[in-house]
Amino acid sequence: MPFQTLRTWFERKPSVAPPPKDRSQLRVGIARVLNVWSTHQFWVAFLKELGISSENIVFSSDTSEEQGREFGKGRGTVDCCYPVKCISGHYGELVFGQKKKINILLSPMIHSLPSILHGHVVDTVTCTRVMAGPENIKAGFLKERDVFAENDIVYASPFVSLGDRHMVTEQLFTSLKDVFDLDLEETARAVQAGFQALDSFTTKARQRSRDILAWCAQNGKPCILVLARPYHMDPGIGHEIEGELQAHGYPILWLQYLPGDDDLVNWLFEEDVKTGRIKSPFDISDVWTSSYSSNTNEIMWGAKFATRCPWITCVIRLSSYECGMDQPTYTPSQKIVEATGTLYFKFGDLDSTKPGGGIKIRVETIVHYLSKYSEEIIQRKLGYLSPDCPLAVARRSDAAVST
Amino acid sequence: MAQLTTIGQLPLNQPPIHHYTAYRPRPFKREERDKVTILYGGLTWKHERLIQGTLHNMKYNAEPLPNIARDDLDAGKELIDVGACCPTIFTTGSLVNFLKKEVAASSKGEVANKYVFLTAGACGPCRFGQYHESYSMALDGLGLRDFRMFLLAQDELDQGPSGGGGLEINLPLSLGLIWGILFGDLLSDLEYLTRPYEINPGQTDQVLKASVEYLYRVFRERPDHGAKYGTLAWHLLTNYFTNALREVCKMWDAIEVDRLRVKARVKITGEFWLQTHEGDGNYNIKRWLEQEDAEVVPPPVAVWLHYLLHPTIRKLEHRHSTSKHPRLEQTLLQALERIYRWTYNRFRKALADLPNELPDQEELRELAEPFYHFELRGGEGHMLIGKALHAYHHKKAHMICELSPYSCMPNTMSIGSMANVIGKYPDLLYAPIEVKGDSEVHALSRCQMILTEAKRRAHEQFQEVLKKTGLTVEKIRKYEERHPETRRATHRVPHLGYSGTAANYVLHLAQDRGLARA
Repeated sequence: MPFQTLRTWFERKPSVAPPPKDRSQLRVGIARVLNVWSTHQFWVAFLKELGISSENIVFSSDTSEEQGREFGKGRGTVDCCYPVKCISGHYGELVFGQKKKINILLSPMIHSLPSILHGHVVDTVTCTRVMAGPENIKAGFLKERDVFAENDIVYASPFVSLGDRHMVTEQLFTSLKDVFDLDLEETARAVQAGFQALDSFTTKARQRSRDILAWCAQNGKPCILVLARPYHMDPGIGHEIEGELQAHGYPILWLQYLPGDDDLVNWLFEEDVKTGRIKSPFDISDVWTSSYSSNTNEIMWGAKFATRCPWITCVIRLSSYECGMDQPTYTPSQKIVEATGTLYFKFGDLDSTKPGGGIKIRVETIVHYLSKYSEEIIQRKLGYLSPDCPLAVARRSDAAVST
Repeated sequence: MAQLTTIGQLPLNQPPIHHYTAYRPRPFKREERDKVTILYGGLTWKHERLIQGTLHNMKYNAEPLPNIARDDLDAGKELIDVGACCPTIFTTGSLVNFLKKEVAASSKGEVANKYVFLTAGACGPCRFGQYHESYSMALDGLGLRDFRMFLLAQDELDQGPSGGGGLEINLPLSLGLIWGILFGDLLSDLEYLTRPYEINPGQTDQVLKASVEYLYRVFRERPDHGAKYGTLAWHLLTNYFTNALREVCKMWDAIEVDRLRVKARVKITGEFWLQTHEGDGNYNIKRWLEQEDAEVVPPPVAVWLHYLLHPTIRKLEHRHSTSKHPRLEQTLLQALERIYRWTYNRFRKALADLPNELPDQEELRELAEPFYHFELRGGEGHMLIGKALHAYHHKKAHMICELSPYSCMPNTMSIGSMANVIGKYPDLLYAPIEVKGDSEVHALSRCQMILTEAKRRAHEQFQEVLKKTGLTVEKIRKYEERHPETRRATHRVPHLGYSGTAANYVLHLAQDRGLARA
């Protein structure tokens, strides 16, 4: 055994990476709610980078009435919009409904979001209810006794600004260091991995939307844009209305993944930029001046995109019961879309119950209008744009064949 | 599905396209100032009259909108999208009804030229930041798209000329507005701590009105000390305003009160507009509480202004700011906060220290922390929980009455989190009242249920302190006869650990005035 002298004791040690911490047995539950729908790639990659294996990252199921009844009953603390209210069921399912128990319940308070409009709007923060939802819901599990502790679960709810990337490492390190035994360096690596995964997914999804639009342009076919918030992708919240329409052969686009390629948006917004109405294709100040809320901003931009894009002949607006963020946008978004005669249909006040019959009748109506007016709408909207369409120009001859 | 034609077959004679455009006011030019009246609202009549003093001082024609009435709810609902929160509906309706009346008396063109509307601007994700969308929708509905509406940012004191130069948000104007708001708060505190105990009914309201009119003149005649630092120094360091408050204090000295009336002390919290408002918009709940034997602790706007400083300080603490000199900015902001509190305390002192002091924002944050993250923005954020716990721990009130608009986004979240607080502090009396504007009986009866218990506690405390001091009501009455100054509204009763005024008063007489030994 070497004798420790003062010199060797205080000598700077060679830089050796500490042995990786073994987190392979940790099981993390994530509530599949709210903006997790548009950021889950970040969370999965973040956890995987920390050494948590894929099979130990558990998401709660899609929202359903049964989930709420079985796991969320008696846990609600206040009446509010359904997408927040239903979180009790998700928490309950993660706490009580797992065959293999989770160790950590991760429910981030997402303060801001990455957005295609970043830099073109005032801010990209989330809805005030959405960001505070976890605080509200956890109260239902703590008010009488600590349900998490009783089930040996650590409740972790980091406040995180995903729209301001430079802040994320510190925020997650501060709030999760004791939960995962983190050090700053590995947190930074995990955050980087998270954003890489999120960006990669978003890029692929946007490319897929572009492919759909290109296909529509080639084949002269209409498609439908869903104007909604990310959690309307949850079948228990959006009630798969877009699926019913897709079954009639109409491709569906979600505004969250609209393509933002320069060639395309410059073509669509060419006239607006030229006349000085907007500064860039991503500028929404012409229609929405209080551009603080990320999802609201994107809804407005999606409406602008839809009204200009010839092959989007119909917009479906989904909105949940008591959505305070949507409320002031109903009339502006409809007016934006309808300016070019694009069809606009709103399904409002959506809550836990799926009004199957009502949806079916309305879907039939929408399909009727789509089949009757789409051709005219496409032609009219093409007339407003320059002929240099980046989607169809290479394949115009193909399109002519299919006509 | 039908096959459709594509590019290359464009139709001829395409009709022109008219894309939707958000409301943008036409300019309000400097040369129009003499002919145009600025409309504003959203606070109490006291605040609004003092703000009018500042605007008149700055040579603007200005007029507050009439106080909110029940009819405004119907007018608002008719013209804006469904599902709005009641403050949006009420305030939109108030503007609508005013404009309708004016149009009926003259014409749309005349009204559009004669008035501009000034309202608080956005501060983030809450619907408060989008009120103006509702206003513009209502203007469309009225056919008054030409009417001008301007937003006043809450976080900048010197915004310069805007919208054509007719309105210039400069330091003298901003300081005048802030001072007016602080004075409105101080007068509200005097009002609510005096009226429940006044011997001559109506005297408090008379003195209050006289005080507001006197201070209106003080603001209107405020001397000009330049546009920048000169005016700042003058506002902070001279006695112009403190002398005026001392005059006000003399007016209140004339009111005789009976502080042996045992009242439940009810602290009002809630959504900003609803908690500040005095009128039909919140079912006149403050007056109603007084009729029900309660003393109301009103919510000062000053706490909100104080709160606005903190997110920036927190950001700088965490170095999240994009500022080049975060340490310097942080120090400056902390100094600004100290100056703000010092100024408010200076004004309180001029009023014999009668108004309540501002709560420490750090303490509010720490109290709320286990239940509601302090960085969650929107509405009052963590403050609702912080204020409830502050009142509970410091025994500042017997109960909390939280006024929450139906469908208010931030408020519902903190009310939900309060379930956790109540679980930990089951004896905290908390009445969250949802206000829709048209369900008065339901709301008031909910409040009354909690108030009954609060009144019981107030009486218990009073009996306890009598027992503890060995005093009786008769003995105190005799003492008051010998010392009439104790029955003056300006006689300060210090907070001695009891929630109720009567209990603190008895203990004050016993301990500080030596009555127990007499």
